[in-house]
Amino acid sequence: MSLTEKAPAAVARPGATRPAGYGLVRTGPASFLVHRRSVLAAAVLLLLLAAVSVAYLCVGERTIAPGEVLTILTGGDSPAAFVVEELRAPRLVTALAVGAAFGIAGALIQTVARNPLASPDIIGISQGAGAVTVAAMTFGLASYTVLPYLSIAGGVLAAALVYVFAWRGGLHATRFVLIGIGFAIALRSLITLFMTKGDFLVAQQAQIWLTGSLNGRGWEESAPVRWTLLLMLPAVLWAARAQRTVSLDDATATALGVRLGRVRLGLVAVGVVLASVATGVAGPVDFVALLAPQIARRVTRTAQIPLFCSALLGALIVTAADLIGRRLFSPVELPVGVLTAAVGAPYLIWLIVRSRTGEKA
Amino acid sequence: MTRLTARGLTLAYENRVVVEDLDLEVPDGKVTVIVGPNACGKSTTLRALGRLLKPVRGAVLLDGEELAKLPTKRIARSIGLLPQTPVAPEAITVADLVARGRQPHQAWWKQWSEEDERAVTEAMARTDVAALADRSVDELSGGQRQRVWIAMALAQETDLLLLDEPTTYLDIAHQVEVLDLVRRLNRTRGRTVVLVLHDLNQAARYADHLIAMKAGRVVAQGAPAEIVTDAMVRDVFGLPAVVVPDPVTGSPLVVPGAPWDAAVSSDAP
Amino acid sequence: MTAAFRSRRVLATSAAVVALLLAVLLSLAVGARPIAPGTVLDALLHGGTGDDAEVVRQLRIPRTVIGLMVGAALALAGTALQGITRNPIADPGILGISQGSSVAVVLAIAFLGVHSLSGYVWFAFAGAALASVAVYAIASSGRGGATPVKLALGGAAINALLLSVTTGVLTTKAAALDEFRFWQIGSLDGRDAATIGQIWPFLLLGAVLVLSVARGLDALALGEDVAKGLGQKVATVRIVGGLGATVLTGAAVAAAGPIAFVGLAVPHIARAVVGSDHRWVLPMAALIGPVMVLVADVAGRIVFPPGEVPAGVMTALIGVPFLVTLVRRKAVPA
Repeated sequence: MSLTEKAPAAVARPGATRPAGYGLVRTGPASFLVHRRSVLAAAVLLLLLAAVSVAYLCVGERTIAPGEVLTILTGGDSPAAFVVEELRAPRLVTALAVGAAFGIAGALIQTVARNPLASPDIIGISQGAGAVTVAAMTFGLASYTVLPYLSIAGGVLAAALVYVFAWRGGLHATRFVLIGIGFAIALRSLITLFMTKGDFLVAQQAQIWLTGSLNGRGWEESAPVRWTLLLMLPAVLWAARAQRTVSLDDATATALGVRLGRVRLGLVAVGVVLASVATGVAGPVDFVALLAPQIARRVTRTAQIPLFCSALLGALIVTAADLIGRRLFSPVELPVGVLTAAVGAPYLIWLIVRSRTGEKA
Repeated sequence: MTRLTARGLTLAYENRVVVEDLDLEVPDGKVTVIVGPNACGKSTTLRALGRLLKPVRGAVLLDGEELAKLPTKRIARSIGLLPQTPVAPEAITVADLVARGRQPHQAWWKQWSEEDERAVTEAMARTDVAALADRSVDELSGGQRQRVWIAMALAQETDLLLLDEPTTYLDIAHQVEVLDLVRRLNRTRGRTVVLVLHDLNQAARYADHLIAMKAGRVVAQGAPAEIVTDAMVRDVFGLPAVVVPDPVTGSPLVVPGAPWDAAVSSDAP
Repeated sequence: MTAAFRSRRVLATSAAVVALLLAVLLSLAVGARPIAPGTVLDALLHGGTGDDAEVVRQLRIPRTVIGLMVGAALALAGTALQGITRNPIADPGILGISQGSSVAVVLAIAFLGVHSLSGYVWFAFAGAALASVAVYAIASSGRGGATPVKLALGGAAINALLLSVTTGVLTTKAAALDEFRFWQIGSLDGRDAATIGQIWPFLLLGAVLVLSVARGLDALALGEDVAKGLGQKVATVRIVGGLGATVLTGAAVAAAGPIAFVGLAVPHIARAVVGSDHRWVLPMAALIGPVMVLVADVAGRIVFPPGEVPAGVMTALIGVPFLVTLVRRKAVPA
């Protein structure tokens, strides 16, 4: 194909050079690109989430009709109001918040690590939070109200250490991931050590925490994650745009004026804070941070991982998992972590099987 | 007139000094080509000119101001750089990748202005990739992919364009295409272009200003016709050669000495 | 290869043997109840009587021997894995293979009522094998093949997967939790002397398998294509080496629980000292590995008396700085 005499290929549609699949909104000098498929996906996910949330409130030891639930939610009075408002709604809100936080955190960590298998657990956040929590439980270091905050501190500290050790004139994805994995293993061995130091009951409690559970997480307990999501909203909005810029190679991105070091630090920081807080509240709920972003990306078919859809999917997964966990072997409750693992594990296996047939992961 | 210059530039990787005390001027509105043997520091120098590498000593100056002190987005609006092995995210389309070139001109509230649209359309037309707009970059051939990357750098609409070995991995027809494109950009738009090339003959053909480097220093610079001589080739590349005028353009053509021949060679078994 | 280098190798190997003997002596002498070296030798060689001698014979000798075996096994497995995957950070723990063994053991304990070592050692092998296959498959997907980072991430993903299975089982089966929480910590403590008799055949088998592909590993280090060009059957080397590593890992994990980082650090130390010829690196690793494990175990005994910090935790605490240094020096290609 020669450049010199060929007529330029007819630009078939107006705005043909605008990245495909985006709608344009222009008002004066301002212009916004909106990815149509993502908006559609988000709308569908919101509907699903609403449906699952209502189901969550209906189902339980005492089944309450959806109509009644809606009445209660809109302020009406009903004999079931107590159950819905005091017992189920707080736990639902926790599930939604924790799921959203994990979804966003997973998306950001995967973007910075440039790998779909990266997740907050593998860079030591869950293990950091776990080590601190199990130690506190075993040696009776803190009351149960303070415990979540200790967990959060543990997670943030572990991630900060990983970041510091991985930083050397800039953050490279590979170093970050490898050192994170090393820390995770070391912290995990500490956790197993602490598990042997206490009596059996404490070990059992610790084990349940380590699995990830929403039991007893009500309005107060979920405060950290709700507030964090709210306060970090501007940061998340920033991250959604900034994400695009780190997916090119370092040289090209810098040539385009991206301050790679700062952007990566920012993305990691947001991810770490959200993951740590969610872990502090509910324990390390397996696989949500791994699954939600990947499913979201496949749904929206974008080159980078959609944050909003990841958040919605994370919330959806955790809520649905907790719903099933509450009812499956009723009256025994399965911790939500068991259910998410039950879904996440087959997903991983599917990834493996798919790779055998030669498709790209 | 030179907007981009280097003064006393010393560059190093880890503790290994690659370029020492280099002075260089990039003439405006011309095609400058940097050549030299492997590991002479040409790519390193280009990266420093594009502020991808921080100098250990000395400075790169743009319009008299030190690059290291300028905000990086501002540099990105003046200098475009295409590195040797750029990596695109998986499954990105051609249009999307070229549009990335507009990043330095965009903001969160100005995501796709008319300027952006015009620049991208023009860039894609000039590199003849408009027909590939919706294709995935991974699926393209080496030559097509390189043109897409150049389109991205073009969309950036900078006065200065730095290209690091843009013709590696391309077959000869595509190499010539890319170099012709570069020349057209320079002649029709007056863009200042700096290229690093490993092929001395191509460099001699397309350069207005040629810089020969060896072991981190500039050994010769000037118009190709003036500086490409047998002596220079032997000195810089260690290659005995004969320089003749190119039959098509008249620029210097480097012809290496005769290949090894048992009958003639002194180290016959 | 210079004569200086050759003699250096011999010297280094002799030094390693001496270090090992010292480590053994330390392991026998040090503990909550310090015993003089003289008494130790007396107990070993002259069948001395007395409380101290009994401690040496009944507790410390078995513990030391297990430490020797586990150290050698993990070091050899790590060397083989690093050679096969051409990945400087490969290690049975990082690649999730140890976790595979652990999961299999916990399943055996919880669901099949297996409580003896000779029973669950076979599960440990099966678990290790399945995990290795899974990790390699998951890492080879996508572009670029099994790069070091992808392998590590694949290992982490498999680890997470297996861990969740483990926690799922432990959450629902309380009795299993109580037994398993002590088992899952890599430790030389409380392992019984009978273990030695059950483990050593597997150790021998694994070592033979790995040593047999030493030349193959050398060739593989030059790249797959070059290795094939040199006449090596790459697939065979990988399979035999992988099998050896799996058997060694399974045996080590079955004997002492998962002990991390020995397989990571020791091959690097060995290579730094004797060069990269696997016919020297492998025996060197087999000497240094036990030194590392025994020293970690001894350190664990004296660091917080009267309690003990298990060897697995100590190796992790030593191993992490090692990994960090290695990665920071850009020794790992992306």
